[in-house]
Amino acid sequence: MLVLTRKVQQSIMIGDEIEVVVLDVRGEQVRLGIRAPKNVAVHRQEIYSQIKHENIEAAETRPEDVPD
Amino acid sequence: MTFYTTRFGTLECSEDDLFVMPEGFLGFPQYTRFVVINHKPGSPFRWIQSVEEASLAFLVLDPQEVSGDYQPEINDLDARALGLDEHTPRQLYAVVSIPRGNPQAMTVNLAGPIVINAQKQIGRQVVIDDERWGTKHAVVSIQDQEDRKAAA
Repeated sequence: MLVLTRKVQQSIMIGDEIEVVVLDVRGEQVRLGIRAPKNVAVHRQEIYSQIKHENIEAAETRPEDVPD
Repeated sequence: MTFYTTRFGTLECSEDDLFVMPEGFLGFPQYTRFVVINHKPGSPFRWIQSVEEASLAFLVLDPQEVSGDYQPEINDLDARALGLDEHTPRQLYAVVSIPRGNPQAMTVNLAGPIVINAQKQIGRQVVIDDERWGTKHAVVSIQDQEDRKAAA
């Protein structure tokens, strides 16, 4: 893994077309801005896992619990 | 074709009613063939039922029922996988989760909508990572929204 240190408002280029900007830092939270072409998927690392778990839970839903 | 379901008993459909999700639902990649079933006449709810696994079905809603400004941007990779260009008609469904016996706790997943190419009957669960739309979007009573729409 390449490790770089940035200050707020500094950015990183990945290839020619992807830019990651550190927008602000508040306590433990870092807000990042991403500029990338539409043919590159960008998402938080855990989102796939969250959706998968949500699907697994949702798959238990029963017709009798559905409101009219 | 005839197929068995645990929720609805034995059902029949034609090949035209089927749609295929080549990569399945996240967490269930081995099941790729589904039909959409209406929940009840007049209900906005529908079910995406697997024709391969009787117990696998997802309650779904048109996400516009939950969030009127829901306009997820489908990236090029997903569009290509679905054979979509900007004009291709598409159907979106959001998976609904209702904890057992607790309809008030119903949530909708707006981060992983099912997008279906309506012409080719191919679907995909796409990942939309946007702070506005999470996996557990709480639902204001659907009935309230239906009432509001009827009154408008």
